[in-house]
Amino acid sequence: MSMSAGGGGSKLNNEPNVTPMIDVLLVLLVIFMMIIPMSRKAIDTQLPDPTPQPPSNVVPDQIVLEVLPGDKYAINKEPVEKAALFARLKAIYDPRPEKVIFVKGDTMVTYNYVVWAMDQARGAGVKVIGVPPK
Amino acid sequence: MGMSAGGGGGVKAEPNVTPMIDVMLVLLVIFMIVVPQINAGFKAVPPDGQNLKTHPEEEGDQVLGIDDQGRYYLNKKPVRNEDLETLVKQIFDQPRDDYIMYVKAHKDLQYLKVVDALDRLSKSGVRVAALISEQLPGTESLVESDRLKIGSAK
Repeated sequence: MSMSAGGGGSKLNNEPNVTPMIDVLLVLLVIFMMIIPMSRKAIDTQLPDPTPQPPSNVVPDQIVLEVLPGDKYAINKEPVEKAALFARLKAIYDPRPEKVIFVKGDTMVTYNYVVWAMDQARGAGVKVIGVPPK
Repeated sequence: MGMSAGGGGGVKAEPNVTPMIDVMLVLLVIFMIVVPQINAGFKAVPPDGQNLKTHPEEEGDQVLGIDDQGRYYLNKKPVRNEDLETLVKQIFDQPRDDYIMYVKAHKDLQYLKVVDALDRLSKSGVRVAALISEQLPGTESLVESDRLKIGSAK
């Protein structure tokens, strides 16, 4: 706008208006800058101790969540509907002081089902997720 | 140059933005080149999740990638299946701040492949495996401590 005011009468102004381009470039730049130092999102799992433990360490009331083929789940061998899993876990872990779960995936299931199960467990208040040895 | 020729007596308050655009373009190109290189090497789409813990990326972080074919990548470098234990052991035998291995595995992998890797990591000195997942769009973790940005625990 100030350009047209400044331009002398008959002269054609052939400089492009670069301001929108700079805007777009700046936004792109900011997007890229935000992507790079991104932190990772992850579910922490405790791996089994490779050294054999004394049998007295075995806690009898541990909770084992099994991920079975065909999108089926079981808590301590008792089958649980997928839709009811979260409520069931919450009912178990709300009154329970030890927020420990073992998530045992069947070797035939797909990885994302196991992660989904761990995810539900974390949402239900589980603090420590253990991966039982094969 | 065309601008100064066009102006008669009017004062021009517009700054010369051309050098700034040049710098921006160069920065943009640099970032565009760097971003794919960060993820270069292997293809893996991590599974989605909601209740994820945020780990800030740090210098000494170790990442094990498992791509859609089940191949292993240790810190983006492909490793042979049988070398995995040796290489991981070398890293985790030294005293470290943490014994976390980030595992970025493809979501459609058979779980056998992942649990096999976890098993071998546990035998090589890794204590915690952080399974890298992606936040489902539009969700937030239900776990109180995940939402805090500061004080990320080891």
